[in-house]
Amino acid sequence: MRSFLSWLNTNGERVLLLWLYSYLVAVIFIEVVRRFALSHSSLWGEETARFIFIYLVWIAAASAVRGRSHIRLDVITLFLPPRGQALIYILGDLATGVIACVALYWSMAPVMTSLRFGSVTEALQLSQALFLAAVPFGFTLVIVRVVQSLIRDVRALAAGQQPYTGTRLFE
Amino acid sequence: MHQLYGKAPPTAEITWDVGWPILMLVALFALGVPVWVSLGFCAVGLLVATQVLPLSLFGEALFSGIDAFALIAVPLYLLTGDVMVRTKLSDQLLDVAQATLGSLRSGFGSSTLLGCGFFSCISGSDAAGAAGIGRITYGRLVEEGYPPNYAAALIASGASTGILIPPSIGYIIVGLVLGVPSSTLFIAAAVPGVMILGSILLTNIAMNSLRRYERSDVRFSFQHWLGAVWRGRWALLIPFIILGGIYSGVFTPTEAAAVAVVIAIGIGLLQGTLKLSDFPSMLENSAKVNGVILPIIALSLPLGQALGALGLPQSFVVAVTSISDDPVMITLLMIAIFMIAGCIMEGTPNIVILGPIMLPLAQSIGMDDVHFCILMMTTLGIGFITPPLGLNLFVLSGLTGNTVFGIARHAVPFVFGMVCVAVVLAFVPELSLWAVR
Repeated sequence: MRSFLSWLNTNGERVLLLWLYSYLVAVIFIEVVRRFALSHSSLWGEETARFIFIYLVWIAAASAVRGRSHIRLDVITLFLPPRGQALIYILGDLATGVIACVALYWSMAPVMTSLRFGSVTEALQLSQALFLAAVPFGFTLVIVRVVQSLIRDVRALAAGQQPYTGTRLFE
Repeated sequence: MHQLYGKAPPTAEITWDVGWPILMLVALFALGVPVWVSLGFCAVGLLVATQVLPLSLFGEALFSGIDAFALIAVPLYLLTGDVMVRTKLSDQLLDVAQATLGSLRSGFGSSTLLGCGFFSCISGSDAAGAAGIGRITYGRLVEEGYPPNYAAALIASGASTGILIPPSIGYIIVGLVLGVPSSTLFIAAAVPGVMILGSILLTNIAMNSLRRYERSDVRFSFQHWLGAVWRGRWALLIPFIILGGIYSGVFTPTEAAAVAVVIAIGIGLLQGTLKLSDFPSMLENSAKVNGVILPIIALSLPLGQALGALGLPQSFVVAVTSISDDPVMITLLMIAIFMIAGCIMEGTPNIVILGPIMLPLAQSIGMDDVHFCILMMTTLGIGFITPPLGLNLFVLSGLTGNTVFGIARHAVPFVFGMVCVAVVLAFVPELSLWAVR
């Protein structure tokens, strides 16, 4: 169990993103081919692509929180001593956490409404809730990653060490 | 965006209720809170303070705001850029550029810029181009005699065409927010985008004859040029498919992107420059950039909606036209606002927030919507190389180890050249509109 959780911690978003991304590319390409070869495209292709895309966005957002790659103004941060930097990062973590909680709470409402009234998607006739859940799912991951990041930054602050500055957007 | 709510909203006074969330945005921003989170705070603050729209809109917007087929083009163009770099197809494009312009006095610098231009015809993002071309050319530029900061500024400026030459993620977002088809914008943006690239090329040539950085002694050889084009034929095929497909109406921009990704991957696999084991890290890198760009779009949308529902665009028009209703003055004012906004904010929120506010002003002086989009993007594009928040400066700083401000200082002449083009584009609408009328 422990080793599974640790695997999930390192690879969770990564594996999901790889599959979702590959699906997105494949399905849109296949739709184009279908339109040329069979001169009609499927109903489900575009719909699933749109929903998969929304999952991709919010899971990738969580992944970027983990890697601390979100764009921020770091002109001030760079001139601060390690403890000051840690404080700036902690402020950013807390702010991200607050927004993620607000987003989680308010994005659950459409899911609940959909479950109560049994709304379905246009083409696939699947429960809409399945797709609406992309937002709360993503923000749950964001909250997990923010808590981890907060623990890391508070430790750095206590020890007076250089806090984790994150991975670069492009290496 | 306020069209969503049926009737035109009342023109609102700018009150404290609107003021404090915007001040909070600036404060959070300055304190190094991530851009997307700062935007979220501003949006929630506005909704709570003004009650103009229910807070549940915020939760819905995070889904419905990005539930658009057009936006799927964003991850696809990001991936195309990554595949081009990974498969070394971008090197081939650069070889063609070098065979074309290498014989100029400023040979390698000019070739780098033309390479950026080629890359822009494939990738929709400027950051990918900055990283892709910068990685290959930076070291060589410094060897040729350019100062490191200038070399980085050169690449950063050339890469800003990524968002100005179609296909472009920027124009996809503009189209989505203002309701203009992005394929129309792609057609309209071709000439303005190439003009911007031309201005950067000329600026570099001028700086070179002034400072004598590089003295290329390569001679132009038609045979060599043909050879480079033949070797790069597959790489050159990709912009042809993307732009040809979109311009002829065969593909939507999203479809063109998917086709380009698959073809680039296919070429890479066939030429042996791409292995299946490269896929995870390649996709992971693109996914990371998605996770950074798309939340900014998603959280700018409810903010833009709230500002629209508050009637801010209308009160802005009233406020401006009460000072002056001279079209020339208003156009210059728009350019100034876009430039200042480009300096203090990142590109995407600027598009999403300023677009709906400024469009009514442009319409009040009879500016065409498409022309407005081109002017806005071109002027905001300059913001990519102005500090403190120029995305390209960040990418190049990370790539080369030069400081953001060091690079920005050397970017000043390029900014000047780009501003000149923006002013010409503003007053000669035909340059943007001749192909779409």
